[in-house]
Amino acid sequence: MTRDTQEIEKKSSAEPQDQWVRLQSIDGFCYLVKRKVANASGTIRNMLDSDAGGYAEAISRQCEINERGIIVEKMVEYMGFKTYYETANPKEDVPVKEFLERIPPEIVLELLLAADYQEM
Amino acid sequence: MAPRKHGPDFSLSKTWEDLSKNIREIQNHNASNLSFEENHRYAYNMVLYKHGETLYNGVRNLVIENLETLAGEEIVPTFPTGTSDPSMQNDEEDVLLKALRKVWDDHRSNMVRLGQILKYMDRSYTKDANVPDTHNMGLQLFLDHIIKPPIKDHLVSAILSQVRHERDGESIHRSTVKGCVDVFLSLEVDRDGTTVYKRDLEPVFLSESQDFYEKEGKRLLHSCDGPEFLRLAEERFEAEASRTNHYLSSQTTQPLLQVLKDNLLTPHLESVISKENSGLDAMVDNSQFDHLSRLFRLCRMVPTGIPCLQASLKKSIIRRGREINQVSLGDDLGDANDAEDVKEKGKGKAKASALGIQPAVTWVQDVLALKDKFDIVWQNSFQSNRELEITLNDAFGTFVNQNEKCSEFISLFIDDNLRRGIKGKTDLEVEAILDKTITIFRFISEKDVFERYYKGHLAKRLLHSRSASDDAEHNMLTKLKIECGVQFTQKMEGMFNDMKISADTTKSYLDHVSKTTAPEIELSVTVMTSNAWPMTNNPSACILPSQMDKACKSFEQFYHSKHSGRRLDWQLNLGNADVHVRFQDRSHELNVSTLALVILLLFENLGDDETLSYSDIKGATSIEPDELKRQLQSLACAKYKVLRKHPSGRDVKESDTFSFNHAFTCPMKKVKIGTISNKVENKEERKETLERIDEERRYQTDACIVRIMKDRKHMKHNDLVNQVTAQLTSKFSPEPMLIKKRIEHLIEKEYLERCEDRKSYNYLA
Repeated sequence: MTRDTQEIEKKSSAEPQDQWVRLQSIDGFCYLVKRKVANASGTIRNMLDSDAGGYAEAISRQCEINERGIIVEKMVEYMGFKTYYETANPKEDVPVKEFLERIPPEIVLELLLAADYQEM
Repeated sequence: MAPRKHGPDFSLSKTWEDLSKNIREIQNHNASNLSFEENHRYAYNMVLYKHGETLYNGVRNLVIENLETLAGEEIVPTFPTGTSDPSMQNDEEDVLLKALRKVWDDHRSNMVRLGQILKYMDRSYTKDANVPDTHNMGLQLFLDHIIKPPIKDHLVSAILSQVRHERDGESIHRSTVKGCVDVFLSLEVDRDGTTVYKRDLEPVFLSESQDFYEKEGKRLLHSCDGPEFLRLAEERFEAEASRTNHYLSSQTTQPLLQVLKDNLLTPHLESVISKENSGLDAMVDNSQFDHLSRLFRLCRMVPTGIPCLQASLKKSIIRRGREINQVSLGDDLGDANDAEDVKEKGKGKAKASALGIQPAVTWVQDVLALKDKFDIVWQNSFQSNRELEITLNDAFGTFVNQNEKCSEFISLFIDDNLRRGIKGKTDLEVEAILDKTITIFRFISEKDVFERYYKGHLAKRLLHSRSASDDAEHNMLTKLKIECGVQFTQKMEGMFNDMKISADTTKSYLDHVSKTTAPEIELSVTVMTSNAWPMTNNPSACILPSQMDKACKSFEQFYHSKHSGRRLDWQLNLGNADVHVRFQDRSHELNVSTLALVILLLFENLGDDETLSYSDIKGATSIEPDELKRQLQSLACAKYKVLRKHPSGRDVKESDTFSFNHAFTCPMKKVKIGTISNKVENKEERKETLERIDEERRYQTDACIVRIMKDRKHMKHNDLVNQVTAQLTSKFSPEPMLIKKRIEHLIEKEYLERCEDRKSYNYLA
């Protein structure tokens, strides 16, 4: 691993363990994300679905995302962004423009493909 | 790390080989060992590289394969073995239905798992290719490969058989049946949303139920009594409702209950209601309110129920009413004989007359009791249903009016109560009695007949001061007024008014004579307005002894001085007198009718042994023969024999002679001598009353016709008859024949003329 594990959100000790899932990029970056946030992706949601069994990922709560860390990081940022503004006060402006400005142009195409795959 | 490239390293055969292997693993419940990401990517890549169709058909074939395997391994072995032992059958069916449910659950969870990894295919390929997505494909394949003969037929017959077991009283696992029925309910066979349940199960279930309840209805009818039938039928309704709620579908509830109504209730209700010894009559007799409530509830479910109940109620009430009528009629005849027996044995007249009103009182009490009985049933069991109330009233009206003496009986009943019945009762009790009487009164259709009798009885009560309570009298009058309007009671109120004025007049007369010359006799006079009182206007002629004559003259003088131009007629037959008589032992105060006093005064100056013959008395008083005989009878033949008749005997003959009975003794000082009290009229009196009523009706009809014609000037015959009928119905029900006759009478009198079309009339002013 070339970089340290980053945590996007602070884990609160009061919350049960299965509230959190680990997203791991192909190059070894790990992101601990709230399940609610992870569910912003349709594909990850299905991956983690543990109704009547489920796949290996649902049981280990570890999802290997077949993307580079920089892509996964942006995805996670977007998932957090989406989850927040979905439940926020409807009067509040959604700073879409600011978000778009934060996407480095060199990863745009790759991010787009990843978003299609991840259904988000 | 460099951006990932979608390279040409994709191999269709390799990908599908891995994916199909994994799908089989999923179908073997091993999904937890598989990576979602891996399989999702396989499917994603296949779709991405334009192999969606291969993927779709491949998955489809795998699902079919799996379903066929499941059917063969799980369901077919549980097919019934054709055993005839019901409990074995029950178990086998249970196993079969459970197996189906297991296969369904398996299949469904497989399809969810597959749907998750095939998500990209559903998003991209199925829509473009216009084929069902994974979920719907799963449903469709289940329909095609599991819900097909022979599996489907076995399932349907197992469900029906389970229902049959339960109807026969065996216990089944409802949850198992429900599990299978739910599968049927969630499978749609066409785009309209028709489910397998609706297509394959409900119709056969309903026809099976129909057969069952057709037989069940007949069986219950033959093996059970009325209440039992109703109880079981209601239980069946509840059981079937609970069945559809618990393990069938609520959409079946209504059609199924309709099957029950059509087979269990509609064809049998009438037979149950009219069952001998346990039908409606028996339930009413035994006050089985629970059973009657159930009967009512069941009747209300089907359209023919209430009319059937109405008809039976009516029949029952009329039958009971007829019995009451019969008893009163029988009593009447028996009583007439009794009365004659009494006369022959020389017993008191008072007793005979007390018996005289007995049939009337009994009749009214019986009718009231019957009414109470049905009212209680109506309130307790029939939820105070309006339609049934109408039926009850109708039925009571019918039989009450079938007793042609109903008006007289009711009036006599009221008379009896107002004279003595209400003594010692509280106002509330009196009120209750009067109210009850009014309820029967309402049933009478010929209110004018009642009016006549009531007036007669009221007049007697007033003149003889027999009324127990003035308040009660007025109360009754108010009630009648409420029922029939002011006109009905106008004359009765006139009577009360006359009584009041007469009391004042008498008082001022007595004041007047005490200041001038008082006649020997103290006089109390009731002046009756001739048209308000029901008495005949021709007073019975009578020669008064001079002292009485003087008293009368004195009053006439006084009265005319106050009201000149009025005519006074003396109704001596209605009066009474108190007279002191000296007998051998002691003197008594006798209360006798005025005419009896006239007779007694003839004996005043006779010697001890002198006698007067019948013709002597007749000559001296010129009282009419019938009246005279009655008066003599009450003086000489009743309990207190003030006169002696020679020869003695019960009946007065024209050859008899009479002498004063000096030896008369009686323990009491005051003696009241037989005023004839009310009793049921005999045939002749009745005939007379009816004639008078007929006469009155003719006048009323005439008046009514003229009133209408005066208003309309010209009218068709039929319209006129209808109008007259409508206006007179509150008093009596006029026959069209009567109206026609009166119209002809009025034409003769030139109030009306017949028009040229022979169908209508003109009014002639």
